[in-house]
Amino acid sequence: MKNTPRIARVAKGKRPQYFSDPAIDKLLSMTLTLMEELSVTRDRLDSLERLLASKKVMERAEIEGWAPDAEAALERSAARAQYVDRMMRAMQAELDEVTRRGERVGDIDPLDAVGS
Amino acid sequence: MPAFKTHAMQPRAQLDEQARQDFVTSLRAHLSGRLMPGAYKVYENRVEPKFRATEGRPPADHEEVRKAMTQDPYYQFWSAMQRRSQELLWESVIDPTERQLPSLIETSKSLTQNAGTPGRGSLRLDPRLPLPRYHAAVDIHLQPGGYHTEFAEDDVAAGVIYDKGINLYMGGALGPENNLMGDILLAYLKEKHPDFRPKRILDLGCAIGNSSVVWARAFPEAEVHGIDVAAPVLRYAHARAESLGVPVHFSQQNAEHTDFQEASFDLVLSHIVLHETSKSALPRILGECHRLLSPGGLMLHLEIPRGKTDVEKFMHNWESYNNNETFSRFMTLIDLKAEALKGGFTSEQVRVDEFAPKLDVAQMNYAEHFFWKILAARR
Repeated sequence: MKNTPRIARVAKGKRPQYFSDPAIDKLLSMTLTLMEELSVTRDRLDSLERLLASKKVMERAEIEGWAPDAEAALERSAARAQYVDRMMRAMQAELDEVTRRGERVGDIDPLDAVGS
Repeated sequence: MPAFKTHAMQPRAQLDEQARQDFVTSLRAHLSGRLMPGAYKVYENRVEPKFRATEGRPPADHEEVRKAMTQDPYYQFWSAMQRRSQELLWESVIDPTERQLPSLIETSKSLTQNAGTPGRGSLRLDPRLPLPRYHAAVDIHLQPGGYHTEFAEDDVAAGVIYDKGINLYMGGALGPENNLMGDILLAYLKEKHPDFRPKRILDLGCAIGNSSVVWARAFPEAEVHGIDVAAPVLRYAHARAESLGVPVHFSQQNAEHTDFQEASFDLVLSHIVLHETSKSALPRILGECHRLLSPGGLMLHLEIPRGKTDVEKFMHNWESYNNNETFSRFMTLIDLKAEALKGGFTSEQVRVDEFAPKLDVAQMNYAEHFFWKILAARR
């Protein structure tokens, strides 16, 4: 793939802390992402099963007996890595802030920027 | 609710990307429709009585309500999830945008190749225009990169993302072309000034031109201009308007001081823009409106209400503390009419109205009775 532009995923500005322990904030963020991905998966499975049934390809029970071949396993592995990356974004954002590679906190005080 | 209209400048979402956007819509409908109203009940039944028991009096203002509410576990959980839903919203739109960005940039170029010819709109960018500090300090609404960041040459990403993002933010309530804000202000004009026929219209802080297009359609004889400080949203606005076949003239300018001639417009507008600016920018923008208006011309600014009771004021300020709308909490304390007087209008010329067209806007319904605030002035 040639130079595909990358778009930022984390907004600039200090993230509020909602709970007494910041770890709870991260856990809740991850939980909601997990909730999202589970919803995505259920939608996809639903699409698949309806398509298969409508085309009379197979019965739902056949899914249980299936295993991926080498190519399918590789594709799954890449997709899973992307999934884990998405799940761990809260941790990555903190690391970027600590190492100053990220932009979450800028050098302009937002209150100062609007207050004069 | 009519579906969001996809056009040439919107990316195609793959099955899982669409499922993420659908999930965000479901999650936010639950958070704002079911859990957010609970925050009022928690305040009445738990937070306020607890405050009274320890202090011997009710909270004195919305700031004291905030201090008490942010300690409450229900509010904390709702608030943290609302914040996360906003982050997920942008992520769900960024994925398909990033994947198709090179082709979207090409599409924007081909859509705008006849720009400037009769019957078409135009685009004028100024790369030397300084970005206001209130844009540079934080990314407004948590949109990563804000309105202004360029991720590629001739970038349109911020506009692509904003267009679909605000559709999801309001759960589709903004209409098939994100036209609701323009429609509301247009409805106000038609109610208060039914015979007004503007010849030159200026839309301040127009972003993707979604409201500019509403005005250009309503007054096809008028010349419509839209200005914004951010280039990527303007490139997108231009391509979007051209793909819709609506001529709008976009230029990259700061509403605090434009290069338009004095008295060159008879209608100057903004749509929920003022609360994203700053204490010093606000009167300067209103002063610029005063300078740009011809005699008899109208200025109309649509604004978000800031709540009436202390707990409503606190809830309205959620966006300020949690969604990078830094200036909006100060708007709770600002008298818009006084700001317009600072800008050069006289007391007789200015009015601030509450306007409530029949709309169900659950996402912004931080108050029981929702109305829009409109700052109006006739030159």
